[in-house]
Amino acid sequence: MGKYSEDPLWADIEPLPTDEGGPNPLAAIAYSEEYEETMSYMRAVMAANEYSDRVLELTEDLIDMNPAHYTVWLYRAKTLFHLDKDLREELEWLNETALEHQKNYQIWHHRNLIVDRLDDCEGETEFVEQMFVKDAKNYHVWSYRQWLVKRFGLWETEELEFTERMLREDVRNNSAWNHRWYIVNGREAEGVKGEWDEGLRKRELDFAKNAVGKTPQNQSPWNYLRAIVRTAGVPLASLKEFAEQYASLDRPDSVRSSFALDLLADIFAEEEGGKDKAGKALDLLAAKYDPIRKNYWAYRKSQLGLESSTPEAVVAA
Amino acid sequence: MAITDSAADDTLDELLRNKARIIELPDDNNEDEVTGVPFPGNHLRKNGIHHLPQWLQQTTIGLFHDDYNTVSSEALDKTAAECLPHLTGQDNQGIPLNRHGLPHLQRKQHASFLHTPLKGLPAPYAAMDASRPWLFYWCTAGLSFLREDVSMYRERLMETVRPLQNKIGGFGGGHGQLSHCACTYATLLALATVGGLDVIDREAMWHWLGTVKQADGGFRMAIGAEEDIRGAYCAMTAITLLNLPLELPPDSPTREAGLTHFTDRLGEWISTCQSYEGGISSAPNHEVHGAYAFCALACLCILGPPHITIPKYLDVDRLIRCLTTLQTNPEGGFAGRTNKLVDACYSHWVGGCWALLEAAVVGPHEAKQNGSVSSAESRLWNREALVRYLLTCCQQPGPKGGMRDKPSARPDGYHTCYSLSGLSAAQNQYTYNTTASTTDRETGRLLSAFNWKGERASEGDMKGLSVERNDVVELVHPVFVIRFEAVEEARRKFARGGFPVVEGTD
Repeated sequence: MGKYSEDPLWADIEPLPTDEGGPNPLAAIAYSEEYEETMSYMRAVMAANEYSDRVLELTEDLIDMNPAHYTVWLYRAKTLFHLDKDLREELEWLNETALEHQKNYQIWHHRNLIVDRLDDCEGETEFVEQMFVKDAKNYHVWSYRQWLVKRFGLWETEELEFTERMLREDVRNNSAWNHRWYIVNGREAEGVKGEWDEGLRKRELDFAKNAVGKTPQNQSPWNYLRAIVRTAGVPLASLKEFAEQYASLDRPDSVRSSFALDLLADIFAEEEGGKDKAGKALDLLAAKYDPIRKNYWAYRKSQLGLESSTPEAVVAA
Repeated sequence: MAITDSAADDTLDELLRNKARIIELPDDNNEDEVTGVPFPGNHLRKNGIHHLPQWLQQTTIGLFHDDYNTVSSEALDKTAAECLPHLTGQDNQGIPLNRHGLPHLQRKQHASFLHTPLKGLPAPYAAMDASRPWLFYWCTAGLSFLREDVSMYRERLMETVRPLQNKIGGFGGGHGQLSHCACTYATLLALATVGGLDVIDREAMWHWLGTVKQADGGFRMAIGAEEDIRGAYCAMTAITLLNLPLELPPDSPTREAGLTHFTDRLGEWISTCQSYEGGISSAPNHEVHGAYAFCALACLCILGPPHITIPKYLDVDRLIRCLTTLQTNPEGGFAGRTNKLVDACYSHWVGGCWALLEAAVVGPHEAKQNGSVSSAESRLWNREALVRYLLTCCQQPGPKGGMRDKPSARPDGYHTCYSLSGLSAAQNQYTYNTTASTTDRETGRLLSAFNWKGERASEGDMKGLSVERNDVVELVHPVFVIRFEAVEEARRKFARGGFPVVEGTD
């Protein structure tokens, strides 16, 4: 006998035990009695389309045992809305659960549904930031944060400062770079054209260049720089002087960043008569600075119509 | 990891993973002249190992070590340190070596590891109660990649999934659970692998898929759940393998938005998932992630020939650049995101992108020129480095076998399956037949995904990759990630399309 079968509150429900499909199910889970019983009652209430307080308790029990149970989460949300429950209370309960199950996806989708319905995001950005203390790259949490920004129009508030804070903590956190890009460009989808005037461009270029200065072999700000010039419609060559601080064909022995060399190769390729120089940069990457990607560098040469060279030849030159 | 939802990376990790078991470096890494900071791998110089590939030589490893440490760089350094002794052959964990000096693929042990969960799972696996179909797929498909016979599981799997199939169509994670694209995909592929497709109610599936198709062109994972690129790939896999009509069912809510076909606005929606970094994210504006790149590319390869649909909807040069940088130095495996750690599962999610991208880049032009597009030299990526990472770092030593994310992680079915399919992607050659037809005239079925050919690693390939015949994994279909034979069976079985007429409904 278990918690539910002994409870008079549940006496009217005929539990639906697990159908294993046959006598020898594959990868059958030896459920604990508690889990099996709770799921049996869950199946029964779902089959009866029951939305009630006792269903909320049941879902809470199940989520506690299996937080990845998407069916139970979705049914809980339906029940809460059906009963017109106090969603603030739900958020409080969620806060505890989220901290226990950091990487769980369902919890964030559920939070999304609740906060959307509440139509109020008070305290949300603070809570999200708290989540980042433990895992600053949690994909679901960053996705949720983006949703908050869009849903509640937080573009102009403190999001930019927030990304700066996160990147001060870890300048290699690519999720934070992605969020920054979203804050600067995300409104395009809503018809607000990203205003890439000179001021904004300079601000963002300086921000990324400063990060490169600290960590030249950090791919995130290099990706960001390339994206700015492409989106703002500025020639790639505008980054040449900057890239040459970290890689130069004149000083092939003291390249400080493979990403700078890669960028230079693209810049040379766009220059008139620059193909050979581009080829040299790509050879240098293949032979010395990034040999794990030697096939890719050779492919890039072939795109320029250049023959591939042997590593020996490059080193000798 | 993305496609499995929270199943593999979250629940299993949290519940079942041991504390990290970091393999200590020998205590001689105090020679730090090269960079001025202690760096994993410095000890290798002393041993004078010259047979190592260039990216594992000290001169390369010591490059570019920025002094400015952060949480990310510390994690990256720690991972390099735990992998280097294995990569360089200092610690082979007692696994017998092949004649090129790499550990053999422990076929028997990995097979036994994959058979085990199918026998039954202890109570803590209740945490995977919503993702059990993945276990069916990882285990049966993984076994088939090792050329193990899995036909003995046919009847039992067909029985087991019957309560997972809902009357409204599709499969949930368990009895009484909502139909879900990921559960449906995993169940479908497992059934195809063991030859049990008859259990699927195709007509109901068609109706259900009509309820998750969205007006913007994408697919939700379940009714009321998130819309992301996994949904698109999973749904199109079901539609194509089962030869469901491409027309939306009449009861599909999306029809109200003016859509008439499952493929409407789909390519355009996938376009919006290409991020500023050039890679693909789960949904527009999210961070680039290797697993989503595979979902996007495979989905486009269902919609049409790779050299047509991929460049039509994606900026190929930027995508290639982004994916290339995910191959980590010095480990040689792939990371899922910029500045994140290598993980064996991306051997499939990113490693599996290359056959599709190479076909997109080559197209019919070079195929004609050279007769065949396949060449022993890989065109875009480093196959040799991936093979080395998987064989040296990701095999769990000992009789229980299994493959793992990285040396400090425990093996599991997810990493074993995708390590094996990643190995297959690196070892064998996959080419697209540009002359085959792309649509079935009678049923309208999209045929492009069936036009792939696999070619086993040649002697030359094997030598270049430092493997022997016994270390080579079976051919794995580059779009559907099951054996070619299983894909062919599904193609043949549903060639006539349509739905069976049930007696008494007339």
